[in-house]
Amino acid sequence: MRWLKVISNRFYNALRKNAVAQELDEELRFHVEKQISQNIAKGMSPGEARRAAMLDIGGVEQFKEDCREVRGGQRLESLFADLRYGFRTLRKSPGFTIVSVVTLALGIGANTAIFSMVNALLLHPYNFRNLDGLVRVWEDRGIQEGYDARYIAPADAEDLRDNNRVLETLTTYSFQSFSFGTKGDLQPVLGCRVSANFFDVLGAHPAAGHLFSISEEQPGSDQVAVVSHGFWQRRFGGDPQVLNKTFSLNGRVYNIVGIMPKDFDYPVPVELWVPLALTPAEKSERGQLSLSALARLKPGVSVSQARAALGSFSRRLEQEYPKTNAGRTVTLEQLRKELYMFTLPLFLLLQAAAGFVLLLACANLANLVFARMIGRQKEIALRAALGAGRGRLGQLFLAETLLFSLAAGFVAIAVSFASVHALRTSIPIEWTKWVPGWDGIQVDSTVLLFAILVAASVGALLGLGTMLHASQVELNKTLKETGTGTMTAAKRRVRSALVVAQVMLALVLLVCAGLTIEGFTRLANVYQGFEPASVLRVEITLPKKTYADTVKVTQFYEQLLGGAASLPGVQHVSLISNPPASNVDNETTFFTIEGQAAVKPSEMPSADLQIASSDFFEGLKIPLASGRVFSEADNADAARVAVISRGMAARYWPGTDAIGRRIRLGSADSTEPWLTVIGVVGDVRQNWWNPVTRPVIYTPFAQTPQRSMTFLLRAASNPSQYVSGVREAVRQMDREIALSEINTLDQEIADSIAIVRIMGILMGIFGVIALALSSIGVYGMLSESVAQRTHEIGIRLALGANPRDLMKLILGQALRLTAIGLGIALPVSFAIGRAMASLVFGVVSVDFVVLAGFSALLLAVAVAAGYLPARRAMDVDPMISLRYE
Amino acid sequence: MSKPTDLVQGTLDLLILKTIALGPLHGWAIAQRIRQVSKDMLQVNQGALYPALHRLEQQGWISAEWGESENNRRAKYYSLTKSGKKYLQSEQANWKRLSAAIGLVLKSA
Repeated sequence: MRWLKVISNRFYNALRKNAVAQELDEELRFHVEKQISQNIAKGMSPGEARRAAMLDIGGVEQFKEDCREVRGGQRLESLFADLRYGFRTLRKSPGFTIVSVVTLALGIGANTAIFSMVNALLLHPYNFRNLDGLVRVWEDRGIQEGYDARYIAPADAEDLRDNNRVLETLTTYSFQSFSFGTKGDLQPVLGCRVSANFFDVLGAHPAAGHLFSISEEQPGSDQVAVVSHGFWQRRFGGDPQVLNKTFSLNGRVYNIVGIMPKDFDYPVPVELWVPLALTPAEKSERGQLSLSALARLKPGVSVSQARAALGSFSRRLEQEYPKTNAGRTVTLEQLRKELYMFTLPLFLLLQAAAGFVLLLACANLANLVFARMIGRQKEIALRAALGAGRGRLGQLFLAETLLFSLAAGFVAIAVSFASVHALRTSIPIEWTKWVPGWDGIQVDSTVLLFAILVAASVGALLGLGTMLHASQVELNKTLKETGTGTMTAAKRRVRSALVVAQVMLALVLLVCAGLTIEGFTRLANVYQGFEPASVLRVEITLPKKTYADTVKVTQFYEQLLGGAASLPGVQHVSLISNPPASNVDNETTFFTIEGQAAVKPSEMPSADLQIASSDFFEGLKIPLASGRVFSEADNADAARVAVISRGMAARYWPGTDAIGRRIRLGSADSTEPWLTVIGVVGDVRQNWWNPVTRPVIYTPFAQTPQRSMTFLLRAASNPSQYVSGVREAVRQMDREIALSEINTLDQEIADSIAIVRIMGILMGIFGVIALALSSIGVYGMLSESVAQRTHEIGIRLALGANPRDLMKLILGQALRLTAIGLGIALPVSFAIGRAMASLVFGVVSVDFVVLAGFSALLLAVAVAAGYLPARRAMDVDPMISLRYE
Repeated sequence: MSKPTDLVQGTLDLLILKTIALGPLHGWAIAQRIRQVSKDMLQVNQGALYPALHRLEQQGWISAEWGESENNRRAKYYSLTKSGKKYLQSEQANWKRLSAAIGLVLKSA
């Protein structure tokens, strides 16, 4: 607290200089008067008393000065003077001020906007209590399973919850899509079945009502639901009386018992939660991995300790239940880490790009500031001659640069409010609903602090640079010189280096932007292996209650396919269990190859499993490599068949023909029937982020029907027009079925690569800014140099120089600097581009067309930026320029 | 007669702090009090007193306030701040230790 007082004292002294001096005078006068009256009391005459007192006090002025000195404040006082002076000079040159504030604001604004994303998505994706202690737990089967396929068997989860020393709590949940509403008006809703302790583990509390109790985990008493804030707003208009109201899900009546707060969105994008009520049979299941699990680590237990403990737990399960648990290992990952997997490289890239923009802006600003300093060389020299030390001069420039970097900081903060808002609202919800924390993107105190820190450090850095620059003033030379001041060779080199650096940064940024954008268009256009244009996709889930029998399931879908195929303009209709570009990993399964020796569970071959109807391959134009695809004849009564992907054929039957081979799902002793491979089709990419094409086994829908399928319809044109037709066809067959995820495949693909697209757009914006900044840099540098060489140019012209040669001279300078910049930047961007392609999914590797294209662009921009100054040089009137001085 | 300038560095600060510990005083009164209490042994020169007061104020050990003096004149009164009280205690302890140590040395020699 004392320090606060000390600082406020300093400010008081500096700001109230006159008041302080007056007070000191008054204090001393009082002292003297007291002394005089004492002297008189001792018996002196008034005159004598006065003289004695004055004698006693000694040199008044001297110790007044002493007092002032101990009060300090001169430093601050001079800083205020410098700031005032800086403010005046900046106001006198509004052009300079505006350009520097705007460029700096751009740089800082870009960083703040991106940092707000990083802050929300990476640092605070969830608002959970002690996020670091939350882990996802799943059973690893030793096959490369996707991120979506991390499940645990219910019985294993229960065992783990009750028998371990590393986890405090464990909860399980599972996604489920529901049909919400009444017959004839059914809406699909994505929900989640959760154990009673689910919210407890996350540390979440309801905004209203209550959460689930253990008794509600029992089948039969589980008809209660907790809804999300969004669901409550959308479906019930935010009705405050909604608690204890009922609604229908899949034909069952549920009672609303709680509403979650606005910021609770786990797992995204779930709209409601119901109890996970498993029957005793389901609970004791070990074979099927069907649940997702979340746990909280005990305090002080590290992730690796927990992983080791879970490993030995798995070995015990393996011994106890070798039939089901062989080769499976329970493992875990921090919830926060899991989120980072795809987003981290992406955001680092964006933040780095934003950093580059800031560097470019700084280089530009440094150039502008240096240019001004040349004009002020006289002033600096004079100040130095009058005894201003290096530190004192430094303070002068520091004050000035701090002033405009702070101004830029304020502009940048205002800009970031706007840009963050734009970022959040301009991106469709379909793109971001899967991104946890997206709604949390905002300019909060952390972001503000970041912006202020960046602005202040830029100011300090620039000030330091200018200080060093200024300290090299050669007093005698500068003062002797006439004219407006010139540049020493060293300084010219510094400024050329700045332009070179700008060109360099710009090229690197442009190349990165180019690679990202090209990568994204390539991803969108060639979503490998099939043709998405003119295809409508609809997800259908038949209710378990009415479609328990597979015959009914087959009947329903056959009727639907028949009905839809007869609509005018429809070319193909088909069914698939997991459509390409769904961004959801396929179900993975072990299989056994006939005639191959039995292997250990961990070495068994595995593949993705897909169920397709006969017209699927033709409907998506997936090429047939050999054999045949499914036909009508491959029905439930016929011999069991399978079509496999080219990748699978190459992996398991390299160099030989896979057609006619037999495989069986599961291990060698499973009761699954043998499937004969009848055809090999092209590989299809399932997820944009997964560059590995997995082997796929397709089985015919007629032989392996299931209740939930995706219906695909290829039309001659405009597939969206068939939405109502399909809806009507379904309603005629069964009024209790809700259709979901109705979308064209094109749109679905665009949505699935949204994050790459967002990145591409942002990188593109950064690239354009970079180009603009570097052209300003070249332009500024050349204008300055032409202005300084006016005299020289005048002489040249007077001596008969050709104006064209002058133009060449100036443009040559622009091209030379740009060429040097490019020379350094080309290998750098090559390396960065390659690194980026390997780090960030979806970004293509460097290609020479991009490199050459952007280099040419930069050269062209340099010529354009140099043109105006060059013209000015050509227009110099020798008479005027020679008379000038 | 010993002069303040002969005092050990920092001793004047200690004297001032101790003097105003009893209650707020103006500069002249502080000088008088020190003289009286030391039985005229210590005479504080104004040239040293006022810079010392201002320095102590700057450092936050004492605070100053304008008030009415005995003869209705405006005078600047100095008083100890909270942190000043603590500072005084620690300085007093230091001084005692120092003088004791010097005493020991002188006795043995």
